[in-house]
Amino acid sequence: MGAVFFQQLANGLVNGMGYVLIAVGLTLVFGVLRIVNFAHGEFYMLGSFATFFAMSLLGVHYIVAVLMATVVVAGVGVLANQVLFRPLRREHEFTILMVSLGLSLVLANGGELVFGADPKYISSPFADDAVELGSVFLTWQRIIVLVAASVLICLVYLFIRFTRMGKMMQATAQNREGAALSGVNIDWVHTYTFALACGLAAAAGALLGPTAVIFPTIGEWAVLKAFIVVVMGGLGSMGGAVAGGLILGIVEALGANYISIAFKDAIGYGIVVAVLLWRPAGLFAPRQ
Amino acid sequence: MQFGIKRKSLFAFAASVALLAGATDGFAQAKPPVRLAAILPLSGAGTFEGQQGIEGMQAAAAIINDKGGILGGRKIEIIPYDDKSSPEEGVSAARRAIEQDKVDAIVGNMFSPIALAMKEVTRDKILHVALAPQHPKVTEEGHKWLFRLNETTIMRGGNFSKFICTKMNLKSVAILAINDDYGRSEAGNYGKWLQECGMQVKGTEFFQGTDTDFNVQLTKIRGLQTDAIYVAASATSQGATIYRQIRQLGYKGTVVASGGNMNPKLIELSGNSIEGVYSVSPYVEDVENPIAAAWRTEYAKRFKNATSFVAALSAAGLEVTAGAMDKAGTSTDYEKIAAAIRGNQWNTVLGDMKFNNIGQGFLASYIVQVKNGKITTTARAN
Repeated sequence: MGAVFFQQLANGLVNGMGYVLIAVGLTLVFGVLRIVNFAHGEFYMLGSFATFFAMSLLGVHYIVAVLMATVVVAGVGVLANQVLFRPLRREHEFTILMVSLGLSLVLANGGELVFGADPKYISSPFADDAVELGSVFLTWQRIIVLVAASVLICLVYLFIRFTRMGKMMQATAQNREGAALSGVNIDWVHTYTFALACGLAAAAGALLGPTAVIFPTIGEWAVLKAFIVVVMGGLGSMGGAVAGGLILGIVEALGANYISIAFKDAIGYGIVVAVLLWRPAGLFAPRQ
Repeated sequence: MQFGIKRKSLFAFAASVALLAGATDGFAQAKPPVRLAAILPLSGAGTFEGQQGIEGMQAAAAIINDKGGILGGRKIEIIPYDDKSSPEEGVSAARRAIEQDKVDAIVGNMFSPIALAMKEVTRDKILHVALAPQHPKVTEEGHKWLFRLNETTIMRGGNFSKFICTKMNLKSVAILAINDDYGRSEAGNYGKWLQECGMQVKGTEFFQGTDTDFNVQLTKIRGLQTDAIYVAASATSQGATIYRQIRQLGYKGTVVASGGNMNPKLIELSGNSIEGVYSVSPYVEDVENPIAAAWRTEYAKRFKNATSFVAALSAAGLEVTAGAMDKAGTSTDYEKIAAAIRGNQWNTVLGDMKFNNIGQGFLASYIVQVKNGKITTTARAN
């Protein structure tokens, strides 16, 4: 009984940390740029495939591949922002939303064309060796997910809180016109935010990739979970994304174990409905 | 939710544009081609199976076309449709194929839920050759022009469960199955059969077709401390993750894969964790068959993937359809074509094959086990 409980808690914690890593980027882009980015999941997918190809084509070590994937996909994010979102900044929110939806389709279907539809496996050296902590089995890969995600989230928090660029991001999130008037370069803020968000999504793909197999449509799954987390935590709130992700992961695992696995996905949506009824703007919504 | 609908209709639009482009290919030929709709999962969890199905059919069609085609020189043209691994999309693809594109026949289906929904659209309208679905009702509640190549869960399971009970020396088992028509019937049947022959079935867990992590289910199963886990996963992408995660959680018992779900890609993706896993399959490469050998050569010339059971099944479906049209002397008189399918024995890439009154196919199948990363035949299963 105890063994199963602690194992499920560990499962939930690792899955939840993965959700956090994906959701933080989504919430950042919404908070700063006011863009609901449906293509966010595809950057997760690109991160996992970039890792796979860095390892298989360039022959680099998994850790190096993760870093390369993060940087490259952050660059792709900057490009997407320059080409698609920047010119449309003054358009209606719905237009931008449709563009992000279009981008997600292009990236997912383009992925099938370029990478092939067959599933692939990122052969991380940490994927199969498990550590026994009492009755809990965790692979090194899952421990890396936990540690790396925690470190990344802390770094992003420190960046936003204490650096000049981070403060400009906060200013832009609070009032775009006001920030621009007081000399904040909005273009740079948007570029940085996109790079950060897409880099985080890519890192999530690179870290979680070896815990399962990857295929070009995994982005759909990622963005769906991230949306649940972000809506639950409050759109635009980083603390909300962290809390929301961990809650979702742990409740899914424990709920599936003690209630019914058939309800695993329903549990996620159930919490969202409950939270929205109780606090319509999300658990940690920034005050308007 | 609103956005989900938008996304779907965009997909449908893109798919129909692709279809229009594909449909114009045939004009250059002197005699009109025989046009077969291949309705398969080309996106979603079953993408890889769908891709292998298309490839298997294309390799088989190339062999027939190189010999001059059928019906006095008509080439076979395969028109792919994406069922997106979902019954609704399968139904709409079948409607498009019949009503707009006016194809000669439908050859397709990897998964039971889609075949079960689609057969109501094809009922008494068009020849429908279902490939891989295993749910008994596909043929039991089929129609006069519906055929199914794969064995049903009942046919295959009867033999396989006997083997598990008598030859594998196991006392208890837990079942992990996909939560759809196929997985639920597998779980129900094996639960019953294994119990009947004296094994203790300690638990059954299900996962969704969209899941990418199975630790939650497997943790629950590990807690039951059984001698074996029976896994019914129809998509390679999910199967591979399951076999890895079973070992990652420290489970040391025997693992059995449901019938027809063992292929080289699965072994490549699962690595060492699939070593020793048992399954039952009608397609094995270490049993002699010249038709299969020629098809494998053609397949290797055209595609990167290794051949698999679903690819072979799709090739056999095309061979039977084309062969029956040729024998019946028509590509649209379904009464005659159906009579030809029922009345003959077919030499296919899966060996000799026959069909009964309700359109159910019969083929040889084998007990296999993964040994040193290879699918090895250990015994004939039927």
